[in-house]
Amino acid sequence: MKKILSLVLAAAMLLTLMPLAMAEGTTDWEPFAENVSITIPVYDRGQAGVPNVEGNYWTEWIQKNFGDKYNITVNYVAIPRTDVMTKYSMLAAAEDLPTILMEYDYPKVTQWAADGYLTEFDMDEFAKVAPTYYNRMVEMNQLTYTKINGDTYFVAAYRPYYDTSYTFQSFVRMDWLRQVGYDHVPVTTSEYNDAMQKIMDAGIAAHPAGGVMVTGVGSDQNYQWRTWPLDEKEWAMYGDYNIPALGWEPNYRLLKNENHKYNIGMTNPEYYLTGTEDEKTNFINGETYQYGAYISASMDWLTAFYEANPDAELAIVPVNGKIDAEYGTTPGYRTDNPFGMMVGFSSFATEDQIKAAWMYMEWLTQPENLFTFQWGIEGENFNYDEEGLPQTDSNYNGEYKMGFSNNKDYWCVTIEARQAGTIEDVIANNLPHDLPQDFTQDIIDWYYDKVAVRDAGWAIANALYSVSMESEAEYQTTLTNLYKEYRDKLTMCSEEEFDALYAQYAQEYLDAGYQAVIDERAEAYEAGNSTHLLNQTATEVDLNK
Amino acid sequence: MQKNKTKTRRERTSWKKALSRDWHLYLMLLVPVLLVVIFNYASYPGLRMAFMDYKPAKGYAGSKWVGWDTFAKVFRDRDFTRALKNSLVFNLLDLVVSFPMPIILALMLNELRFPRFKKVTQTVLYLPHFLSWVIIGSVAYQLFKPTTGIVNVLFMNWGWIQQGIPFLTEKWHWAATYLLIGVWQGMGWGTIIYLAAITGISGELYEAAMIDGATRLQRIWHITLPGIRSTIVILLIMNLGKIMGSNYERLDVFGNTQVKDFQYQLAIYIYEKGLASSKFSMATAVGLFQSLVGLILVLASDRFAKALGEDGLL
Repeated sequence: MKKILSLVLAAAMLLTLMPLAMAEGTTDWEPFAENVSITIPVYDRGQAGVPNVEGNYWTEWIQKNFGDKYNITVNYVAIPRTDVMTKYSMLAAAEDLPTILMEYDYPKVTQWAADGYLTEFDMDEFAKVAPTYYNRMVEMNQLTYTKINGDTYFVAAYRPYYDTSYTFQSFVRMDWLRQVGYDHVPVTTSEYNDAMQKIMDAGIAAHPAGGVMVTGVGSDQNYQWRTWPLDEKEWAMYGDYNIPALGWEPNYRLLKNENHKYNIGMTNPEYYLTGTEDEKTNFINGETYQYGAYISASMDWLTAFYEANPDAELAIVPVNGKIDAEYGTTPGYRTDNPFGMMVGFSSFATEDQIKAAWMYMEWLTQPENLFTFQWGIEGENFNYDEEGLPQTDSNYNGEYKMGFSNNKDYWCVTIEARQAGTIEDVIANNLPHDLPQDFTQDIIDWYYDKVAVRDAGWAIANALYSVSMESEAEYQTTLTNLYKEYRDKLTMCSEEEFDALYAQYAQEYLDAGYQAVIDERAEAYEAGNSTHLLNQTATEVDLNK
Repeated sequence: MQKNKTKTRRERTSWKKALSRDWHLYLMLLVPVLLVVIFNYASYPGLRMAFMDYKPAKGYAGSKWVGWDTFAKVFRDRDFTRALKNSLVFNLLDLVVSFPMPIILALMLNELRFPRFKKVTQTVLYLPHFLSWVIIGSVAYQLFKPTTGIVNVLFMNWGWIQQGIPFLTEKWHWAATYLLIGVWQGMGWGTIIYLAAITGISGELYEAAMIDGATRLQRIWHITLPGIRSTIVILLIMNLGKIMGSNYERLDVFGNTQVKDFQYQLAIYIYEKGLASSKFSMATAVGLFQSLVGLILVLASDRFAKALGEDGLL
């Protein structure tokens, strides 16, 4: 009974989104006469304690329950999470691309299309083979993102709560804040800087703000530093996630603040040598104020933190609803794209292989298959609670052990999050409950605050282009590497030198290719080949903090 | 008589006879020869990529020929100039600093008279060669970070310094540290060839010199060094061929944004601008350029060595 209730809950959202689905579907498929072999990419995150990504119980489970039924051999190929593009390049050079190519970042998949890695296809044919998947795209208005230069190259996975994502949370030392007279967590820049200064003055931590080396791609997101109302053309030219906007006013203001923080000692002087694992260790060791990570039912680092700091009190950083009068920062934030993985199909694949890949995606989208793949085996990976909702056993380590984040790197081909029950249930299921503090209610509140801020108009989606951007493909790697170098020099120079150095590096950055990038984006925007800003009437929100 | 001479010549050059007599040696040789053929020569057709706008998904047949365009683009690139300059300077410095060390070390090891101590010393000196650069790099950062590195912490605790020495975070300090770690990693292994060459020197020469009253230094200078001179020249020529090369792994593990002015060398350029950006044509063009310059240097230095009366390499 509990299982039935759970399945009903798990399927509820999918079913409401796909009224036309299931009429046709997996039952119509005939097994292939000749065996068809397909290859699916799966991220290798280099994490200890997870099964081999290319072969484990769950890859065999797919083969047994899907592959064998339709005479399809399903293979998996590991893609290093930190070096996706190089790995795909190598596979393409060896003419060994996987049948499916998928990535979260739109510029990456458009580059694949431009480089000939992907094949065009007929969306109507896809709809016949994978009606559930297709109808969900229709319901979520995702078809607009499936074309480049007028040709269909992609299908889009579903990302629940894409503009109010709650899954990444920053945890801070509330006990330190109380020691320096704060009864709440600072959310504005001026309050944050003030609190850090007081923590340093009190001798609690030498460099409380910590800091990690910048990676270039996605570094220094400046959404809260932008001036409202946003200018749509500027947003289209500079407001990108992948190539940092050195030379744009919001980036200047952000880096000026970083420079100040470094010069007064708030930032770790060795931040540019500090990786994320070191930063996590610094937080666990009680050396830094804040650490952020994705929430999950098993958060080993939080367990380690409480073991090392039994008297510590943590809090999550609340949503900001106010404009900071001193620094001009706003509640502006970046929303995810309105899709999860963008999925394309190899130009080396045969028609049968592409059809088999579509079948694989459709089969995984069926609620009963997806549920097992996301939650595992009852009594092993999860158990039902009193309300009939599945609860993951975060300590499970047996033969059915799942891959990173409950097999997410496999089922991300169709959906980006596990769904079981209401948002409250989902959050509760994605948090550990055996720690000295329970953050469930805090994160539920955080989610509703985020909804309020979004509704007030502060959500900023990045511009997406329906034409391939050749200059991005040409200059992205150069610019992101150059940004890392300039950014650290700008952070570490004296405050007096900053403005002159910023102007010099901004010009060099333009000359190195950024000018070509922003020119091409402006051209695409003016030709009507980009998305648009949705809401510009942002107002402050009283979140009753 | 003439007939006998011909027969003798034929017997000497008969590959069948040589093969049947030394077949086991040829069989052993087959493995390295195959490795060289597969990994060095079989890839040669791929060099055409340098003259094409190569797109992996389109293959050679579908990619356009662009002539020298890729080379022109590379040579106009400021980053290439920077990488080339750094590669040349650091490889020359590496040669100056690293090349003599194995010779000096081999001479010193050769003078050790207590066999067990000599073997232990040799083994200890060889060990760094077997450590990967990733391990060496991470250990180096743990030792030499400016504020939390063990060396700087100790120096500060002992009152020797007020501020940490930026061994790996300031470009000039980095250059010295990078080169010296290279010396440490390679010098032990580099002694093997010299020690082997030293064993080929006749012991009678040393005995005669000792009878004549030569000191140990005089024996080294007048017997050992001349005895290994041809080996030194050959290795020098081979090292000159590497003057355009660079070791990506070594550069990457010691890299950080504060030292990019020096750390940005051709291997980094090829990886960042070529492979990571799917620009295989550019990566191949730079690789081909490196190889050609290396080949020219080897040939030139070989000719120079021969002009000085040495055997040379070829």
